[in-house]
Amino acid sequence: MSWRWALARRVAKLAATDGGGGAQAQRLLPTSSAAAGTGLLGRLHMPLASQIRSKVVGCRGAALVSSRWLHDAQYQVRQDGASRAQEQQDPFELVADELSLLANRLRSMVAAEVPKLASAAEYFFKVGAEGKRFRPTVLLLMASALKFPLSESTEGGVLSILADKLRTRQQNIAEITEMIHVASLLHDDVLDDADTRRGVSSLNLIMGNKLSVLAGDFLLSRACVALAALGNTEVVSLMATAVEHLVTGETMQISTSREQRRSMEYYLQKTYYKTASLISNSCKAVAILAGHTAEVSMLAYEYGRNLGLAFQLIDDVLDFTGTSASLGKGSLSDIRHGIITAPMLYAIEEFPQLQEVVDRGFDNPANIEIALDYLRKSRGIERTKELAREHADRAVKAIESLPDSDDEDVLTSRRALIDITERVITRTK
Amino acid sequence: MCLRLCRAPVVGCRGAALVSSRWLHDAQYQVRQDGASRAQEQQDPFELVADELSLLANRLRSMVAAEVPKLASAAEYFFKVGAEGKRFRPTVLLLMASALKFPLSESTEGGVLSILADKLRTRQQNIAEITEMIHVASLLHDDVLDDADTRRGVSSLNLIMGNKLSVLAGDFLLSRACVALAALGNTEVVSLMATAVEHLVTGETMQISTSREQRRSMEYYLQKTYYKTASLISNSCKAVAILAGHTAEVSMLTYEYGRNLGLAFQLIDDVLDFTGTSASLGKGSLSDIHHGIITAPMLYAIEEFPQLQEIVDRGFDNSANIEIALDYLRKSRGIERTKELAREHADRAVKAIESLPDSDDEDVLTSRRALIDITERVITRTK
Repeated sequence: MSWRWALARRVAKLAATDGGGGAQAQRLLPTSSAAAGTGLLGRLHMPLASQIRSKVVGCRGAALVSSRWLHDAQYQVRQDGASRAQEQQDPFELVADELSLLANRLRSMVAAEVPKLASAAEYFFKVGAEGKRFRPTVLLLMASALKFPLSESTEGGVLSILADKLRTRQQNIAEITEMIHVASLLHDDVLDDADTRRGVSSLNLIMGNKLSVLAGDFLLSRACVALAALGNTEVVSLMATAVEHLVTGETMQISTSREQRRSMEYYLQKTYYKTASLISNSCKAVAILAGHTAEVSMLAYEYGRNLGLAFQLIDDVLDFTGTSASLGKGSLSDIRHGIITAPMLYAIEEFPQLQEVVDRGFDNPANIEIALDYLRKSRGIERTKELAREHADRAVKAIESLPDSDDEDVLTSRRALIDITERVITRTK
Repeated sequence: MCLRLCRAPVVGCRGAALVSSRWLHDAQYQVRQDGASRAQEQQDPFELVADELSLLANRLRSMVAAEVPKLASAAEYFFKVGAEGKRFRPTVLLLMASALKFPLSESTEGGVLSILADKLRTRQQNIAEITEMIHVASLLHDDVLDDADTRRGVSSLNLIMGNKLSVLAGDFLLSRACVALAALGNTEVVSLMATAVEHLVTGETMQISTSREQRRSMEYYLQKTYYKTASLISNSCKAVAILAGHTAEVSMLTYEYGRNLGLAFQLIDDVLDFTGTSASLGKGSLSDIHHGIITAPMLYAIEEFPQLQEIVDRGFDNSANIEIALDYLRKSRGIERTKELAREHADRAVKAIESLPDSDDEDVLTSRRALIDITERVITRTK
């Protein structure tokens, strides 16, 4: 598919202005930000959200903008945390319309011959119980970030139609990912005997374990059928692997030996399986459907993987700290379930005596207090945050390493993906 | 026909044996027409593929090896020797693969076509493995759903290891099956098997959430039976044909064989649940009726005796009610009609095999006879 890139470059060359560096292809994403003050890209003229939204299906002509002009107008996202030159768009807003489209399709997809099962599956797609639709948002943005540029003359032509078709298929990946995710939640709730999920009574509480197991199976099989319909066995393979990882991760969690519970390596592996594998493999699937090279697909994968890991690590921190900066104000649900997460593992490295405390288990709340004390004294929380930052940085780097593009949509989406990593790191709930 | 001769080339094709079909006809043992003693010793169809099945069993074990030992042992639970049941599905699939072999002339032995044939055989074996994984996954989840104590005569996994691990083990097998499916690189096959999985779920759901209305309906019951029992075997038979590159017509014939075989199997299963190994009623395990599952014999009886409907509606927690229902069943032709229906499906399965494209290949003919033999065994079995 590299002919498309060659075409884009030729078009860019032919129309380049003097200010932009002559025959050079416009470089809009600096790969290095060594010099102080060079944050990420931005632009003076921020396209309206509605403008972006209306083009959620189909390609746009390449926008030719001078890179130097963009550099000057850049807002500093990350280096100094200064107030932004421009209002930053909510990345979730960028794809809100498309998400509604997906949600409706998903609902009809899970309609089943047996109404009881359909309502069980629907349970998780209800508005309000949907969470922030995190994964589909990332996947749709990734699809946009990977768009091949088309020249103006092909709008409405064959290439445009193909692009629409591709977009639909990438949307299917988002739907499939969500179905797999919800299926795993349903089974996990059975496994955990959970009472609530996302603030509403868990399905298994209302309808019993049996129907939860079946509903999860149902969603999983629907996902398989939808996957098969894509007609791409590499994609089927990727998503099947993701499902396998979810299972493995959950198993690792419920059958951890004492030995393994101390190991940061084991913990990170389990975290990859449980949290990052699904998003990373589906990002990769989005790239593969578009026909990208193995290198680009790996970059998409790396973004997803690092984003997922960063997300989970901050999740671990928040379980201790909650919305306040102080320790012990979080829900502490991990530790109550005997799940030892990154902050505690770091603390054990600093205070070996904490190991004994952990081994004693946490049925006794007094023991929890002791452990929290050690955690407070240690740098566990800080080091976890640092690790999360590291992964967020790698995610950003992956986006920045994507092949250049002049397309407005592409650039906006890439910025949004980068913005998401920032939100993941700095969120307080 | 020597047993060893058939077993030896379990992988790969043989040169076409040119045997006069008339001679075969004459020497054919009468399987079905008159039940007379056979001219030749009839081969056990399961024996025909026994060696190949061992190969598959070993491959299956390594396929389900997992990073997490606990999960691997959970999955392995069902592949243990002795707990494996009769390996019914893999047997049918391997025989089907042989029954569909394209003839090759002698000159191509060891050549390119022979290698391709080996490759095809391996892929068809993979279908058998995948089918078994899907089947066991559904059993694991069903046992959780049923709170079952035993399965195939051994303590059910969920009893030993808890519901949680059973759910996980089922998920694990399912995902392994998906990965293996994807590796075949044939999206039509992926689609078929994914549909089969979906049907298993739908069938189980139909069973646990039947309304009173639906419980009376023979149509609903047969649909549920197709989903729960026949869909997997029919779709995997079809997958075997598709992998071999057969036409849509031939693929449909294999599908029809599997479908009718599966339905026949379940119908006789329903009968045996009432009759057990004896011919008399009520000696079977009666587990269906104890679980409130109304099967074909009872549905036929209700057609004859509408008053039986009330009794059925009352439910069967009360064992006295069971006795009353059995009484009606005895008076009715429920058992006979179910057997007749099973025979009908078995006949259709045989017809499907007989409609396959002609072949002179010994293996092909033996396998087809074996498939036909299996339908007979399914109908006449007593346990």
